[in-house]
Amino acid sequence: MPIDGLIVLDSTVTPVVQTAFRRFSPAYPLLHIDAYSAAAASARRVQDIDPVIYVPSFDPDEPSACCHIQHNGLTLLSPVSRDTDPLYAFAFLRTFVDILHEYFGDVTAPALKDHFDVVYQLLEETLDSGGHPLTTSPNALRDIVIPPSLLTKILSVAGVSGLSGPSTHGMGAFASPIPWRKAGVRYNSNEIYFDISETLKATVSKSGVVVDSTVLGKIDANSKLSGTPDLLLTLTNAQAMSNPSFHPCIRLNRFSQSKVLSFVPPDGHFTLMEYRYSPASAQAPPPTGTPLTAIAQNQSQVQVPFTLKAAMAVSEHGGTFDVSIASRLSARAIEDFVMELYLGEGATGASCTVGGGAEWGYIPARQVCPIGSRCYGI
Amino acid sequence: MSGHLNAFTENASRLGMRLQETISERTKDFGLGRGGGTTVFDTGDDKVKNIRAQLDSSSDREKLDAMKRLIAMISKGRSVSEFFAQVVKNVAVSNLEVRKLVYIYLLRYAEAEPDLALLSINTFQRDLSDSSPLIRAMALRVLSGIRVPTIGSLVVLAIKKCSSDVSPYVRKTAALAIPKCYSLDASHLPSLIEILSILLRDRSPLSIGSVAVAFEAVCPTRLDLLHPHYRRLCRVLVDVDEWGQVNLLELLVRYARNMLPRPSSTDIGDGKSKDDVDKDLDLLLSSAEPLFQSRNPAVVLSVSRAFYYLALPSEHHKIVQPMLRLLDGSREIERVALAYILFISRTSPNLFSPHYIRFTIRADDSAQVKVDKIRLLRSFVNIENYQALSREFVDYADDFDEGLAAGAVQAIGHTARVIPEAMQHCLNALLGFIKSRHDTVVTNAVLVLKSLVHTQLQAQSSFAFGASSSPLTIIERLAYRIDEIRHPQARACVVWLVGQYAADATQGDAAPVEGITPWAPDVLRKCAKSFRDETVAVKLQTITLAAKLIALSPNNRTLVLLAKYAFGLARYDRNYDVRDRARVLQMLLGGVVPSLVSKKGEDEEDALEDRGGVVLRREQVRVVLFEGKAGVAEDGEYNDDRELLGTLTLLTGHDMRGDRILPDWLEQGVMSSLRDTEDDTPAPHTVPAAIAHYARAGAAASGAASPIVVLTPAGSSGPSPAGSIPNKAAFTDLEAFYASEDEESDEDESEEEGEGSDEKVAHGTASSEDEYSDEEEDDDDESALVGGHR
Repeated sequence: MPIDGLIVLDSTVTPVVQTAFRRFSPAYPLLHIDAYSAAAASARRVQDIDPVIYVPSFDPDEPSACCHIQHNGLTLLSPVSRDTDPLYAFAFLRTFVDILHEYFGDVTAPALKDHFDVVYQLLEETLDSGGHPLTTSPNALRDIVIPPSLLTKILSVAGVSGLSGPSTHGMGAFASPIPWRKAGVRYNSNEIYFDISETLKATVSKSGVVVDSTVLGKIDANSKLSGTPDLLLTLTNAQAMSNPSFHPCIRLNRFSQSKVLSFVPPDGHFTLMEYRYSPASAQAPPPTGTPLTAIAQNQSQVQVPFTLKAAMAVSEHGGTFDVSIASRLSARAIEDFVMELYLGEGATGASCTVGGGAEWGYIPARQVCPIGSRCYGI
Repeated sequence: MSGHLNAFTENASRLGMRLQETISERTKDFGLGRGGGTTVFDTGDDKVKNIRAQLDSSSDREKLDAMKRLIAMISKGRSVSEFFAQVVKNVAVSNLEVRKLVYIYLLRYAEAEPDLALLSINTFQRDLSDSSPLIRAMALRVLSGIRVPTIGSLVVLAIKKCSSDVSPYVRKTAALAIPKCYSLDASHLPSLIEILSILLRDRSPLSIGSVAVAFEAVCPTRLDLLHPHYRRLCRVLVDVDEWGQVNLLELLVRYARNMLPRPSSTDIGDGKSKDDVDKDLDLLLSSAEPLFQSRNPAVVLSVSRAFYYLALPSEHHKIVQPMLRLLDGSREIERVALAYILFISRTSPNLFSPHYIRFTIRADDSAQVKVDKIRLLRSFVNIENYQALSREFVDYADDFDEGLAAGAVQAIGHTARVIPEAMQHCLNALLGFIKSRHDTVVTNAVLVLKSLVHTQLQAQSSFAFGASSSPLTIIERLAYRIDEIRHPQARACVVWLVGQYAADATQGDAAPVEGITPWAPDVLRKCAKSFRDETVAVKLQTITLAAKLIALSPNNRTLVLLAKYAFGLARYDRNYDVRDRARVLQMLLGGVVPSLVSKKGEDEEDALEDRGGVVLRREQVRVVLFEGKAGVAEDGEYNDDRELLGTLTLLTGHDMRGDRILPDWLEQGVMSSLRDTEDDTPAPHTVPAAIAHYARAGAAASGAASPIVVLTPAGSSGPSPAGSIPNKAAFTDLEAFYASEDEESDEDESEEEGEGSDEKVAHGTASSEDEYSDEEEDDDDESALVGGHR
């Protein structure tokens, strides 16, 4: 179930980096780039481009499809054929973006062009020419492909590149017994940091009633521990996290038995787990097979911390809208509040009066009117 | 010594990072921070000539520079195969940096220049014995990438050598080289299968995924080779890397369908049932189940696929939550997951319908996602949720996305059809939509109303219609709005409805035209008046309406005149369908209204009457006109057996010519004893085997040979007596697996301390756990705060 390759396009739909496509005709990648730009041209909004585009070919026996993701103005295309699961392609594309992010910070077209030799090395190491991902753990990759840094640059300019990385790093490659952790990591002070970030996603009906709301959480970690540390993280209320997904380092069986996270962390930044907050699912899981509309509804409801009322009036050549937002929180203030209004296709501008010290703007490209405020009062 | 060097480079690179940050801050304006990359990338033509000389120079730096230029040209899409000869010479350069770039170049161009590549084969072969696994793997990759059939046997030898390499990474590369060698020359199949069966025995979970890939490519039908490995593969599944898990699961699912007996469930009364599941199948499913929690969507889908195709229907509910989780992923993943959920819902709608709330449409969903969601929601409609769902549908009909609005209106129609209780509510909503300003909404509302009214009238069960909206009242209201309904299809639809249900016996003499509802002739009048500007569909329906009306009431003079006028217009229409239809209808009505056919002064028409043939009586004409049409077909639900979960075909709707076919179960399955191995009988024996690779690699790293892996539960720190096997639990027991690693690293550390290094290295396990408890408290605080929000 391989993917056929990878093409990185910049914002003008010009390829920046692409794999060799040795098994295919030279027209193959071009066909996919064309299919993508045709789809992009016909879509009304960026998000309306179907992520999986069917690409017919001259040979009716060789149909393929083009999977693509957007990142920072770049488009990563991956042609797939032979009934490969597109999720496989998307998972790889996402992983590759994450790797690039690890290496270059901001993943932009200039950054890729600056370090194209590193990018090509990464491409060669992460994707076999047959289309199967090889090494995708950033820890292992760092041993094989040295991340660009000023030090290596100075050394290479000074002509001593032979002395710098290679002699040491080449030996270290694949020396670690654990695929996701570097061998021989050493820190003077051992520490690990965790960040928990949660996102509330809600759908509110036209009348202001919350139809659906969920909280999605994520635990990011930054590990700076020496040797091969074995960690145990006990959560006081593990039941509140439902339907989690884990970094491969976590012992899944241990979690399912006793709800503790036991793991040997990779070195550096990584996402430990993601979960969905569920206030009620701790109580007896609903019997399967029976309809549980009411239960399902109650489970997922999380109150939205503000109320939003909107009134719109549309006329022949424009319209007016009146949006009022009120915070539901009594103890704290909502900070950095930004609201985006999609004005619809054909909108050319907006003029707003906003209260409470907020600011507003208009983004013509997306027909979006963002309204923001540093701190929204209690 | 090497430790010091490590620490030094570590510090140096950190310093370098910091320096880079500050320098790039200060030198932004000068463009210095960006270093030399851009200049290399934009190589001019004059520099290109230089590359040859640079490659031939003796300085590593020059070579590196030249190679970078070449790679830059590759990425700009220029063909640089002309430099092949010069590049090949550098294959044996001692500088690893250069060598890697050379390999990247060779991997791209070895195929184009096989003859020159052959010159360097000796170097590759020498590199196969290099001390670095990285070089060994790269050499094998280039070697298998040279597509020259004559070296086939050489490549086979190289693969064989690498398949017993110490490093699992090299073994993985060996496995991936097998399909390439096979596609080059199929005659090597026997020796390749031999290598493959060696690789199948590999204890390392790292390479096994690639072995599965090779197996599928080279000998997909030789599933019998897997018998002795099946159980071990199942157990090792958790430890395989994420991409390997996908490939391995695919293979195991196919194996199960081919070799295991079909699981069955027999009812033994009391609402209980006895499940008859083969224990090997159970092993596969229970080893796969933890992977539902993988962060990789492809893995989650593979496990769902395994459960969907292998498990009993009673187990299918396990798919639900993980699949729903995929919806919270990125937009692309949501799109694909929705298509898969839609597929599953076609066969078992009850799996996901309790969670309909998760499929409510958001304003920023993409067009395709909206369409899929509305189809899903539609299929979820049942007696419990129809009220909430139809509320949603009514809201969606206002959406600016026309596809969604149309889908919503149709979904309301669907609700009315499947839930009789909802009929009244839905009809009100639909009638409301007719007043909408949006064309699509009106059109769809009319179309849906048409099919509702038609099916209801045909079934003769108007019980669900309230008094205020009997089917005929609806038609009447539609007829009155004929001027506002502009969309061709909708307009044609109304005209047809009017004609079909124009018969009216109740009003008797009070009606302006006998036997016909009062509004029907007026619709004909309006349409005849605007006949010239109507679309073909409306024209066809207009003359049909005319025919129907005079068949109902042949004696009304005005009506006949009106019909004649319509037929006259149709006769000289530009569209031949309209002309033909008019002709047919006129002939048909010949027996009812003779004046229609025999117009004075037209000899041709007179002759027609003489021509004779069958002339139908009025009752016969009515049957032809009114009962010719069969019931309206429910709009398309299709189900193709060939479609499989997790395939591209499912998403694109085109046959992607894949070969991922799942056969049906065997009734009996093959003998389970085939899968028995000596590993199985003393069960715990395989545990250390599964981690043998880790143990071996760990041992190599610490420099001490420790062949016996002592397994202790993670909690206890003291080593258990050597030789005893404390863990009798299942093979999938990960603690045991990691505990051994823990032991290893402990040994590792203590040894290093024993070596007398001065610097005090904090002891990994203990100190980190201290750190940990602090962090934990922070976590709690965090979640407490977050909890406050709610």
